[in-house]
Amino acid sequence: MPWPQTRRIIGTKVQRLDGPDKATGRAKYSFDINRPGMLHARMLRCPHAHARVKSIDVSQAEKAPGVRAVHTIVKPDAELYWAGAEIAAVAADTEEHAEDALRAIRVDYQELPHLVKESEALTAKRRTVSGNAMTNVEAAGDFATANFDQQAYQGAAATVEGTYGVPIISHQCLESHGLVAEWNQDATELTVWASTQAVPNTANQLAQYFKLPATRVKCITHYMGGGFGSKFGPDIQGTVAAELARKARAPVKLMLDRAEEVTCGGQRPSAFGTVKVAGDNQGRLQAFEVDCYGSPGIGGAATVNFNLLPYVYSAPNVKRKHSRLRMNVQTARAMRAPGHPQNCLLTEQALDDLAARLNVNPLDMRLRNLPANDPNAVDNAPTSFLALRNTIYTREIDIIKKMCNWEQRWHAPGKGGGVVKTGLGVALHTWGGGGRGPNPTKVTISADGSVLAQSSSQDLGTAQRTVTAIIVAEVLGLQPRDITVQLGDSVHGPSTPSGGSTTCPGTSPAILKAAEAARSAFLAEIAPRLNAQAGDLTIEPGVIVNRTNNQRTPWRQACARLGMNPVQATGDWPPPGQLNAMTPAGAALRREWQQTLTNQGVGGIQVAEVKVDTETGVVRCTHVWAVQDCGMIINKQGCESQVAGGVIMGVNYALFEECIYDRATGRMVNPDMEFYKLGGIQDMPQIHVHMMDMPERGVIGIGEPPTISTAAAIANAIHNALGVRVPQAPYTPEHVLAALANRR
Amino acid sequence: MKNFTYFRPTSPEQAVGLLEARWGNTELLAGGTDLLDLQKEYIAQPSRIVSLAGVAQLNNVSIGDRAITLGAGMTIAAVAAHASVRQHAAALAQAAAEVGAPQIRNMGTLGGNLCQRNRCWYFRDEHTNCLLKGGPRCNALDGENKYHAVFTAGHRCVIVHPSTLAPALIALGASADVQAPNGRRTVELAKFFRAPTGPAEREHTLAANELVLSVTIPIAGTRSASYEVRHKQAYDWPLVQAAVAFQGGQNGAKATGVRIVLGHVAPTPYIAEAAQRALDNRAITEASATAAGRAAAEGAKPLSQNGYKLRLIEVAVKRALLLASGAKPYWEV
Repeated sequence: MPWPQTRRIIGTKVQRLDGPDKATGRAKYSFDINRPGMLHARMLRCPHAHARVKSIDVSQAEKAPGVRAVHTIVKPDAELYWAGAEIAAVAADTEEHAEDALRAIRVDYQELPHLVKESEALTAKRRTVSGNAMTNVEAAGDFATANFDQQAYQGAAATVEGTYGVPIISHQCLESHGLVAEWNQDATELTVWASTQAVPNTANQLAQYFKLPATRVKCITHYMGGGFGSKFGPDIQGTVAAELARKARAPVKLMLDRAEEVTCGGQRPSAFGTVKVAGDNQGRLQAFEVDCYGSPGIGGAATVNFNLLPYVYSAPNVKRKHSRLRMNVQTARAMRAPGHPQNCLLTEQALDDLAARLNVNPLDMRLRNLPANDPNAVDNAPTSFLALRNTIYTREIDIIKKMCNWEQRWHAPGKGGGVVKTGLGVALHTWGGGGRGPNPTKVTISADGSVLAQSSSQDLGTAQRTVTAIIVAEVLGLQPRDITVQLGDSVHGPSTPSGGSTTCPGTSPAILKAAEAARSAFLAEIAPRLNAQAGDLTIEPGVIVNRTNNQRTPWRQACARLGMNPVQATGDWPPPGQLNAMTPAGAALRREWQQTLTNQGVGGIQVAEVKVDTETGVVRCTHVWAVQDCGMIINKQGCESQVAGGVIMGVNYALFEECIYDRATGRMVNPDMEFYKLGGIQDMPQIHVHMMDMPERGVIGIGEPPTISTAAAIANAIHNALGVRVPQAPYTPEHVLAALANRR
Repeated sequence: MKNFTYFRPTSPEQAVGLLEARWGNTELLAGGTDLLDLQKEYIAQPSRIVSLAGVAQLNNVSIGDRAITLGAGMTIAAVAAHASVRQHAAALAQAAAEVGAPQIRNMGTLGGNLCQRNRCWYFRDEHTNCLLKGGPRCNALDGENKYHAVFTAGHRCVIVHPSTLAPALIALGASADVQAPNGRRTVELAKFFRAPTGPAEREHTLAANELVLSVTIPIAGTRSASYEVRHKQAYDWPLVQAAVAFQGGQNGAKATGVRIVLGHVAPTPYIAEAAQRALDNRAITEASATAAGRAAAEGAKPLSQNGYKLRLIEVAVKRALLLASGAKPYWEV
């Protein structure tokens, strides 16, 4: 089952079908759901960064005006490790009453020592997080290539060492985490309207928590306002809202407020590293040595995957030492290409510093250090990224060089004139983006000519309704707007979570299969009524054609022949069970799935232009050029929007974002949108996107990759403008002025 | 959020009559962009709210030969757009146009901007008992203070005053008409602000039962400008603001009556007297403006994380002076 050879709609620019609904407010997000008799819930959180709960008394809260239910989350003697840990929750008739009631809960805390600054946690002689270690620092694995110490730096034309860092940032979902929970009369069935990027998962986790059959819990997510990896399940607020709803016998809405969203909704771990690189006089890397650490907060497992270092490029001699630095702040959650932007920053800045020392043009530097195409993959999986990576990056560097007019714009570091200095910087990235299953999709064709496509998959930002409509319309000879798409309801069966840039590659073959099955069933159904054999009928845009006599029946007239019975077909790909079979048929399916219909592994490159006011240290990013490898495109407009969105996120990462924690109280001081800075439209560059499509590779997800290299490209552009490295992100006026002062 | 009784008087006298003489129990509501946040965050918990929406007099504007009088209820957007303000009080128009975002400018008022509370993140955190809320000491002194005051001598609380209209108005020599319980009085804006030291004080000198009626700006052939160094261009507070005003000063002529007022560097708008003296009766040139900028930073005692603001003071003063003198902004490319 290949993709259609000639594609009428797939790969073109189609406007988001639900754009007007989102822009006008007709689209209802979880936050907008209001059920009859609904209560509002709020959670009480530990105000201390580390404390033991001595006692909790909710009796006054239970009597507070408007309160209908109180749920205690922790027990006395619980040790809590961050300011934000959940204590109890209240449901009341209004949000204000719920807030007031929280303040009537009496909690006695024994405050314990905390550490919320990397610089302190690194050297402190005590442990302030869970576990048995002596300190908060945990070795996370060292690595060295053979004989590193003997040979790594021998005969190098230049060696440079630099220290670079990037702080913890927050997901800052525009729609905060949360949901509305509603039980049926006898509390045997639960429905939630949740802001989630994993609809069936959320329902299943709630079913497990409440020990209900999975069929008795329904999750609805028609629209969601951003997750970025932080919304894979009901979360604690999900179970708490459902507990309160059951206790109060009324629907309950529990959405985090902005401060909670920032302090509790997820974070991207910090990363700091001292990187030493050596190369020959052409800029070919000879050695890459890094000593780094980062903080996943109180979390133990999730951290920056420093095993990716050196990022993208290959070096013969590599040595890595890295530590996980646990602190009394919220735990890390996956965030749009977890680990990659940090690794990209650590690698690309070091590479540029070496290029500057060697007087090598940064683009040449990149070309000379690209990993080779893997010969084994070239033979066995010719459309795979491993087989093509050198080819892809080389082509991208060539494209972007022309796009941004690199030869004219670029100057040697610090060589531009004026008070406001212009600089150009480049960085590369990579990501997976392969598809998974199951994602069964149902397509229904009705007698009035309408077509309905249904799946439980959610729209995290993929413009998934539009993706679905494009594929169905392509197969049925219609236009995307002719297709009604229903998404985000667990009644439609299983679907895979939207994580890892997998939604489009994971669902699109299933949608294709469903649409083709619906077409076959439809033609078989109407053939006798058109006095034709099903095999003689074909679909052209808007018409059913009988190839034997060229009889042409418009779509609606053909559908009208269906009478009372709509045609329904369900498709899924890969076929459950068959894919993993260790048989020749299984192997063929895997090849088709992984190398033709979809694929994984992409490379991308971005160039940023900045203007740095050397008197004030203010950096403005004026242009970003992005070339993104993307396999086969379903919706070019959606793809380009994804890239632009990724760039915007990367600009914020480079210039503005930082979770700031107070040493003394252990509390975050900027859990808002006032001092947690996010750029507005005036702060954004002109974004120039080039999708380097390779349809022969199949569909690949690109939600994450375009955010990876933006910050590193900006860091390098600032270095290029000033001739001095600003080592610490975000690149604020204070950091820029400090770097300039150090040079003087 | 504490329940409150809402009053909607129609005259300044009525409004003031509804206020208590002590801070805490009663609050005036103008645009609401500050007060409602404070209430929702449990920082302000008044039991009485006196809305100014019905006090029509606060929207009066009069343009005379010698002065402009702007009603305190005028929105910040209206101030920014007013032709006479732009003509005679450029610094005010520029500062107003840069406040917050359109939503804030369309709701926030001139009087509210002058009387708003500070933005210190310790003050605004319900769970931090800072000096202004009755705590033992200011958390910013050895805490997170990159946005805090650099002129700290003699101050136990190191907030910065948030108003960006105030430095412009002080530079322009403006004064406020105030309704007090026993009549009206006029206060120079240069004497309107003070550094609070505890819960019983605000960032200004008005009593809890007083109300700003209007602001009067003299028309005196003044050239003026406001320049903000901002991290973000969209929706952000300045890191440092300089507002300047003087007579003469264009085309190499000498500037007289020089006023240089800084914002976001001290608990009150900060009048940079040394810089004023350095420039008075001198032509505005790159060199003299640079020297004035250096003088403006004299006497600063920055905290652990905000030393960078000294450099920004120098640059902001220089650029504001050059802008007011009509020079081409060399920093715009």
